[in-house]
Order: sequence, then structure tokens, then C-alpha cells
Amino acid sequence: MLREPLTVGMNAPRADAFTKVTGKEQYAADYYPPNLLWCGVKRPSYAHALIRSIDISRAKEMPGVAAVLTHKDISGSNRLGILEKDQPVLAEDTVRHYGDSIALVLAESRYTLQQALELISVEYEPLPAVFDPEAAMLEDAPVLHPGRKHAFLETEAGVAWLEDDGALVIVASTQTPFRDRTEISHALGIPSCRIRVIAPYLGGGFGGKDGITVQAFLALAAQHSGGRPVKMWYSREESFLAGTKRHPAILKYSLGCDQEGILHALDCRIVMDTGAYASLGCEVLALAMEHAGGPYRIPHASIEGIAVYTNNPVAGAFRGFGAPQAHAAIEQVIDELARIAGFDPLEFRLKNAVSRGDTTPSGVTLTQSTGILACLETARDSAAWRERERWESLAPPFKKRGTGIAAINHGIGYGPVIPDNANAKIELTGEGRLIIYAGVSDMGQGNAATYLQIAGDILSQTLDNMELVLPDTAQTLPSGSSSASRTTFTFGNALIGAAQALRKRILERASLLFTYQFFEHVRAEDLGLVPGHVRHIPTGREIHLSFVSTTMDQSERTAANSYTCPVNRQKPPTGGSLRIHGYPHRVYSFGVNLVRLEADILTGEVTVCDFIAFTDAGRIINPELFDQQVHGGIAQGLGYTLFEDFLVSEGRILTGDFGAYILPTALDIPDIQSIAIPLQEEDGPYGMKGVGEITINGAFPAVANALARVCKTRISSGPLTAEKVLAAISRNEVGKNR
Amino acid sequence: MMEIFFPDSLDELWAIMSANPGGAVMAGGTDLLVRIRKTGRKPPALFCLERIDELKQIRENEKVIFIGAYVTHQRLLENLTVQKRLRALWDAVSVLGSPPVRHSGTIGGNLCTASPAGDTLPPLYVFGAEVDIRSKSNKRSVSVAEFITGPGRTSLHSGEIVTRVSIPLPAPGTISRYYKAGKRKAMAITVASMAVQAKKDENGIIELIKLAWGSAGATVVTLPEAEEFLRGHTLSEERLRQAGKLVSAGVTPIDDIRGSAAYRRMVAGNLLLRLAHEN
Ligand SMILES: Cc1cc2nc3c(=O)[nH]c(=O)nc-3n(C[C@H](O)[C@H](O)[C@H](O)COP(=O)(O)OP(=O)(O)OC[C@H]3O[C@@H](n4cnc5c(N)ncnc54)[C@H](O)[C@@H]3O)c2cc1C
Repeated sequence: MLREPLTVGMNAPRADAFTKVTGKEQYAADYYPPNLLWCGVKRPSYAHALIRSIDISRAKEMPGVAAVLTHKDISGSNRLGILEKDQPVLAEDTVRHYGDSIALVLAESRYTLQQALELISVEYEPLPAVFDPEAAMLEDAPVLHPGRKHAFLETEAGVAWLEDDGALVIVASTQTPFRDRTEISHALGIPSCRIRVIAPYLGGGFGGKDGITVQAFLALAAQHSGGRPVKMWYSREESFLAGTKRHPAILKYSLGCDQEGILHALDCRIVMDTGAYASLGCEVLALAMEHAGGPYRIPHASIEGIAVYTNNPVAGAFRGFGAPQAHAAIEQVIDELARIAGFDPLEFRLKNAVSRGDTTPSGVTLTQSTGILACLETARDSAAWRERERWESLAPPFKKRGTGIAAINHGIGYGPVIPDNANAKIELTGEGRLIIYAGVSDMGQGNAATYLQIAGDILSQTLDNMELVLPDTAQTLPSGSSSASRTTFTFGNALIGAAQALRKRILERASLLFTYQFFEHVRAEDLGLVPGHVRHIPTGREIHLSFVSTTMDQSERTAANSYTCPVNRQKPPTGGSLRIHGYPHRVYSFGVNLVRLEADILTGEVTVCDFIAFTDAGRIINPELFDQQVHGGIAQGLGYTLFEDFLVSEGRILTGDFGAYILPTALDIPDIQSIAIPLQEEDGPYGMKGVGEITINGAFPAVANALARVCKTRISSGPLTAEKVLAAISRNEVGKNR
Repeated sequence: MMEIFFPDSLDELWAIMSANPGGAVMAGGTDLLVRIRKTGRKPPALFCLERIDELKQIRENEKVIFIGAYVTHQRLLENLTVQKRLRALWDAVSVLGSPPVRHSGTIGGNLCTASPAGDTLPPLYVFGAEVDIRSKSNKRSVSVAEFITGPGRTSLHSGEIVTRVSIPLPAPGTISRYYKAGKRKAMAITVASMAVQAKKDENGIIELIKLAWGSAGATVVTLPEAEEFLRGHTLSEERLRQAGKLVSAGVTPIDDIRGSAAYRRMVAGNLLLRLAHEN
């Protein structure tokens, strides 16, 4: 495999696989610069309070403590935030949730750090706090979608130091190295050009590292560490406490169709609790609203969305970004309406699903590839669907079986206003090797490996003749965030241009070199790239790439290309401010999820027996990586569907560690079948669309729909725990007996 | 800072224990280390049992199996006698934690943690296990029920350790099972569980039945009235359903983040129904 030039469409090996499984790869959490100081943050004792005073004197005097900093030590705006700059690095006079930050301590050891943090005493004046996103939400039958934690393996981590010239270097586990620089600059008053952010491979991100976590603390600490490097690494408990969550949402839906089963009207309302700070709350809400009506034609739609500040933990980006909440609602409502109106749930969806040219309920005209009908048809023809009643009838004693489906879509990219731009750079080294400068993070999804595959394809090179430079604001070019199902979509497009430009240059130079050798004009068309060499095809003569490289100076050896995605320029008829928050999109991925499950009627425990994902995420660059996204998204989706419950009481997290917050284990996840419906998408590199998020949107409604068949009733709030399932089953049995 | 000791024998352990008052005995550490991290309270010393051979032995005669306190759940899972004759215990360790936890966690640790959710406890109750206890100067044995005095509480005195568990081997023809409901399929703290040991006559009439529930009260719950109700009858679904009602009414669970008391009551009763399909 390594001898073969990489080709788009093949299962190219992941460049990061070997170093990761052998433990060689250095994540941000693995950096231990010599002589480092540990940093930690004092958290408040109230969810909402005025700070009367902060006494740091005892902590400061403690042996082993290098510095104790408060907001007074910050010379910038002390405000973090992406669009809405509302979150202080260190609180001034108010704390707004239990995960807020009051003081930053730098100490010789983690042990001393803990003790010093306890020695800081804060006087508070508690304020009334708001925990219920809308008390008025006590209307009938809302679908309640609780918060969820990303639960990445590598908790928030990083190191920082000042260079001899005073420039700041931060190595952090971040999805947004370039944006972090701007945010830190604004909050701390350090010129952006004096900040360098390096983002090694992340040990998971899922949106939880979309923005500042520890970076601003590290930057502040490095300025007060007496020249020593600083390190910060959240414990799992702190990650739960201070990290962002998926937005809890309350969704209320009414949906209507006519006698033929054609959908006519949708009326829905989505209330999201964004917690103490905005983070990406408006953007998440906008995406939820855009997906509120699912992949259907519904000519009359009213979609209302509200994001509310509370004193709960901060909610922000999380894989799916609002769409899972919306799909959890619309896809259950579709199923219910089909049942009430007497239609087969799949045929009902087929009748109403959008095709290219249609307009979605959110008013988006679909100008790009639209594969939902193809996904639905493939699902309809699958054995699992055709034979579902027989399979259900074969349930063992005390088990009931159900089959459920969900049809989903997911917008790709940033939307119409914020430019979805990436800048790729590729270099031919003096040794004839290729270096790809990837300015966008790889949080584990394998996009960096895909970049090698794209460049390898264009330049006909093998994996071992190529290298990657991971995001580093000093070496790579700004390429936006690793998020929004846009990472490979946008950067891939930029990279194609850069790789093609370099290829052209290499072939032109090589044609000169061959011309000198042959004393005859050699045309670039007669040349081909092969691993390590350029070949003159008519004669079979080759010259090594290092030789070609000698004819170039540094500027010629590198090629860069900037790419900005086309956008949907439609103006939504109402809710104009939504555009700035990313509404609407132009390209969507589509999918249908089919689940077969078994519920134990004695305990309510659910076993997911089979899960089939039919996915139109465009053409596929690497089938294995594609399937990994499908498997991972569904596993994560099943986790939040069945187990994960981010319980908060009066702003305090009740499930704040892995003992209480129940993630699925290998035994809880079935074999997942990934069936691609790879339609060609003209905007995407090689016809691809993003696959990172479409995979997480369907698990909840598919499982909920299967369980509704089992329980003969619906469970109105997630997760669909054994306890709720048993209650639903028994409610029904009691009903039957009467 | 904690001092950590690895005595090679019980005698060495006694000496180390008396020289280091306030220290804690550690077997696999799967409960102890979690607790230390959570509470932040570090004992001044840890006495690790892992090198004391005497605590790792499994011996048996025709009537009794003797399981050393430091026998891991994994070893129980691999033990043929446990598998064949103490199926409820085997069931319990097969759903206890996960492979790494089963390779470190021990039966002694599970007993001494005395959690109402401890998975080996209900089987040990229905089998009428005895716990052997020793200290520098004393040896005694108590029944499991006497050993466990409350949630997280045992009748161990300071300076005492559990050395082994003795389980009388059930007569041939006895069946036993352990059923567990948790929040996921592995690494799950029991939300409700039930162990059963039963013997039927040739007509399927119950001659002997012992039942015990986990996570259904402050400690393992036994309900003689439910056993009485089933004795002398066949295990029809109807009979079991009625017995289940007695169980739901008889257990005394609590509400916590893992489950409500009402759910635990319902499941405790429902688990009996599984017996309708066991032979
Ligand atoms: C991830 C995870 C999953 C788990 N899942 C389950 C589960 O599904 N079911 C379940 O029942 N438990 C579970 N546990 C709890 C734990 O693994 C078991 O209770 C295990 O049996 C404890 O044994 P240990 O040897 O690790 O005990 P330790 O942690 O070493 O000790 C526990 C306590 O007993 C004392 N002790 C240990 N041995 C002796 C002795 N011989 N004499 C006197 N005192 C002693 C210790 O001082 C300590 O107080 C889980 C734990 C973890 C971390």
C-alpha cells in the first residue's frame, strides 16, 4: 500500500494511525516543556453572584506558588466570544455559572496548585439565578432534549511560553487555531501578530474545542510566569464543569398533511438554553431552525427559535450543531403523523421528501445534489425494512422488537456571511519530498490523512514521500475551523488548486531539464509524475524530484491556493439577522437511518440490534474514513439517545464524571452498516460533501420511532433510558388491562 | 503522601498494619482508588494484598468451595466449579464491570465495599456464604448477612481483614441465576438485581428457593414471604407475577441519579419473571 501512489477513492492508510497506536504522537496534553509551571483556575461557589472581594494573599504566599492573577492583571477587554463577546477570561464583579473563572494560579506542581486554589477566598453576594430556559415552556407535549458532554478522550489542554523576543507561543488542543489568536488578542490586549498558536492532533473535539478553552489562561499565565513555560490540563471533572455542552432544547411541533398524505403546514418553536454565555448559541439555534422541518417539502411553515441565557453551564458547538435537536423533533412528528393519517412511515417520507430544485420548510431552495429520495428508496428496498414485521414477531420471551427510521439532512459550511475560506500550501523540498501545510485542525476525523491522499493523487506520490505540517499560525495559512462539516470540503478545494499549481510547475521545470538532456524540445504533455520522479513517457527516462527542486527557489517550491465556498444568497423572508448566524446553506448532506432494536419489557433495557445508515455525503475520497465517520457519529448518537444525561440542578452538574455520566460501551453499540449513496456534488472537492455531522442526526429519532412501536406511546424527553421505556411500556399495559 | 506496602505474608501484614495506624487495606483498588480520588482523602498508608499467596487460593471439597479474598472476578469467571455449580455467582462476575475491572477487582473488595449494588453479594446471600475474618490475634467466621451491616458498612473491626469466603456447594439439580439491570451493558452499576437459588422436584414443584435483591435497599434485600409464596408451586408466569408484586412491595430502594425507587421496585419484582423460562 505504501508503495502505491495515493489515489482518491482508495482506502489510503491514515498517516496518523501508526504514530497514534504506538503512542508516539504528541497531543497537546503530552507537552511538558522543561521547568514548567502548572496553571489552574478558581471556580465560584455560586451559579450567580456578585463578587464582593477576592483575597489572594494567602495563596500568593504559599511556597511553590509563582503567581496568582485576577482580572486586574488583564490589560485587554477581558472578553472572549466568537460573535458575541460576553465571556470574561477572569470574572470582574459577577459570576454567572459554576464553571466561571475567578483567579488563575501558577504553581510548581499540580498538588500545590490545588492547595493554593483552596486558599483563595472570595466573598460573594448571591444573586437570584435563572435555571429554567423558559418557565413558560410548560405547554403540552414538548420534546425535551437535554444537554450532552463531548466526552473527548483528551480533556482541554495546552502549554504556552514566551519566546526570547517576547512573542507568545501556545500549543493547544484546539479546533480553531487562527481564530483563537484573534480572540486572545482582543481579550488580553496582545497584538495578534505576537501570538503563535500550534494545534497538534486533537484527542477528540466534537465542537467542544471550537474556540477558547485553556488558551486564554495560558496566554495570561505565560505573561506572568517569569519566563517559564506554563501548562494547563483540565481534569475530567473540570472538563464537565467548565467545558461547553450540547444545547438543551425544548421543541414544540405541530404538523399537518392532507388525505393523500401530502404535508402542508408546520408550526414549531425551539427554545435553547445557551447557559451563562452566548458561545455559539445563536449559530446553533440558527442551524436548528434551518433543519427544523427536515428534508421535506412543507409549503407553509412557521419556525420560531429562541436562545436563552441562564445560569446553567455554557452550551456551545457540538457535532450536529443544533440539527440533532431539530431532527429529534421533526422526525418523530413525521412518524406520528404518518401513523395517525394511516401511512407507512417510509412511504410517507418518500411522498414528501425534497429533491433538487425544491424548497425546504426553512425556505431554502436546493440547488445542489439532493440524495434523500435515493436514500429512502434504498432503505425501503433493504431486507431489514421489508422483513421488519417478521423480524419483530420473532422476539424472544419478555422482549419486544421495533424498527424505526429517520430521514435527515445537514448543511455544510459556515453559511452565507462568514466567508468559508481555506488556504492550502504545498511544498516540494530540496530532497524531492512533498510537505502539505494543513491550516485546519485534525481532531481525530482523519482529515489530515485525506489531504495527503488528495495531494498524493494529484502529484502521483506515495504516502512515504509526503509529510504534513499540522496547524501552526507561523507555518500554515488560515483555513478556518475544524467544524461545520466543512473541513475537508473547503480545505480540500483549496488544496486541489495548490497541488495542481505545483504539479504544473514541476512538469514545466522537468520539461526544461529533459530538453537539456535530449537536446530536443520536450513538452510537458509528454511527462508524467510517478513516485519520487518525473517520467518522460515516450522514452521511460526519469528524473528525481530533488533534481527538479534544484531549479526552483523557495518561493517557487511552494504553491498556495485560496478557496472560498460559494454560498446561498437567498434572503430568508423573515428573521433577517439569521444570516449573520449562518442561515441558510447551499450544500446539504442527506441520510436515512434504520434501526432495529429490542426492549426488555421487564427492565426497559434497550438492545440496539442493527443499525443501517444510508448516507448521501457526496462522492467518497476514502471509503474507510467515510465509514469511520458514520460509525463514530452513530455510536455518539446512540450514546446521547439511550444513556447520556447531563443532569443539572440549580446550575450544578449532577453527572459530572464518567461514573455518573453514562457513555455507551462497545457492548452497547451494534454492528453498524454504512451504505453510501454517493451522488456527485459539484461544489465539493472530487464531488464530496461533509460527512462529519450528518451521521449524528438520525440516531435519536430512529431509535425513538422504533421504541414508539414497542411502547405504543412516545417518550417526550431524552435520553430514552430503560426507566422511561419501562414506564412507557407499563403505562400502556395498564391501559390495555382496563 | 501515601506510603505503599507490599507484604508477602499475613504475618508481615500484621506487623506493617500495627506500625502504620490509619492505613487502608488495598486489594484490586478499583473501589478504593476511585474513592480516594473522589473525596481527596488519602490514607497515610496502603497495605496491598497482592503478594499474599494465601489470599489468592481457591480450594474445594465435595461440600464447600473456599475462595481467597484476593481472588479476582476474572478468576471466578474462569473457575469451572463456579461456572457449573454456582451459576448465580458466575453470572454476577460475568456482568461485573468490564474486563480490566474484572482482572483487578476482587471478591474480598466487593464484600468489604458493602455496596448495595455489589454484584457478588446477592449470590453470596442465596448460597449462604460465610466470610472468614482474621486479625493478628483472632480468627472468626460470620455469615454474609452478618458481615454486611449497612450501606458501605461491615462488621470488620480495625486490624481485621477478610481472608476468604466459603460457599457451600448446592446439591445437584439446584439451579441458580443472577439477573442484573444497569444503565448500560458493561461498566454499569447495578440499578436493580436479583439472585436466585432454587430446586424443583420432578414435577417442577419448587422445593427450595432462596432469593436476594441488589440495589433494592440499604443492603442486600431478602424476602422470606416471597420465597414462601413460591415454595410448593410450579414457576408459572402467573405465580411469578403475583410473587413479583410481593417483591415490589417488600423491597426498600432509594431514588438516586441512576434510577428512581419506583423503577427499582418494579424491576425487582419483574426480574422474578425471568424464572418462567429457566430450566
Ligand atoms: C469502572 C468500574 C466498574 C465497576 N463495576 C462494578 C460492577 O459492575 N459491579 C460491582 O459490584 N462493582 C463494580 N465496581 C466496583 C469494584 O470493582 C468492585 O467492588 C470490586 O470487587 C472491588 O474489589 P477491589 O479488589 O478492587 O477492592 P479495593 O478497591 O481494593 O477495596 C475496596 C474496599 O475493601 C477493602 N478491602 C479490600 N480487600 C479487603 C480484605 N481482604 N479485607 C479487608 N478489607 C478489604 C479496602 O480497604 C477498601 O475499603 C466497578 C468499579 C469500577 C472502577
